[in-house]
Amino acid sequence: MNVWLVAATVLVVSLGGCAWVALRSPPSDRLVAFELAGIIDTLIFLLLAAGFDRDVYYDLALALALLSLAGGLVFAHFMERWV
Amino acid sequence: MSVVELATWTLLVIGVGVEILCVVGVVAMDDVFDRLHFLGPASTIGTLAIVLAILFNEPFSTNGIKTLLVGALLILTSPVLTHATARAARVRQYGHWQAVPEEEVDTE
Repeated sequence: MNVWLVAATVLVVSLGGCAWVALRSPPSDRLVAFELAGIIDTLIFLLLAAGFDRDVYYDLALALALLSLAGGLVFAHFMERWV
Repeated sequence: MSVVELATWTLLVIGVGVEILCVVGVVAMDDVFDRLHFLGPASTIGTLAIVLAILFNEPFSTNGIKTLLVGALLILTSPVLTHATARAARVRQYGHWQAVPEEEVDTE
């Protein structure tokens, strides 16, 4: 287990805090926790790619960075009135 | 321990530490606008530190460029997301996003 995987494991554990807020708070606060989890997830994929030395995982991080932005904006749009 | 290893360790500790502090901040705050503040450091300082740590080990390769792209994407798009979320939360609260005349600003 190298330094990248240790860092990724610590970040995975810290996602528990986001899950706690996402499960127990008002809807707007859940969206904030979801967005923070998206940022941390992207960084976890980067660290896993460096840790396992697999080139494909870098593409995964890139796709997640793009899609978490789109997902967050769609959620924010629906959060204004309908959800 | 070489210079690259030392830089990697330092940047990773900074990056992971900032992310953990941001999660603690989001859990500790009790208002959506207070919580939104903690998206800033998570997407700028934390992301920059971890991206730099990877770039120290994989400079000028395809993976390095992809890492740089992910970092730039996170840093540049996070303010848009924060603004959209704050606007949505305010519209939810007041029905519109404009300033309310009788609204008191807490300056403490």
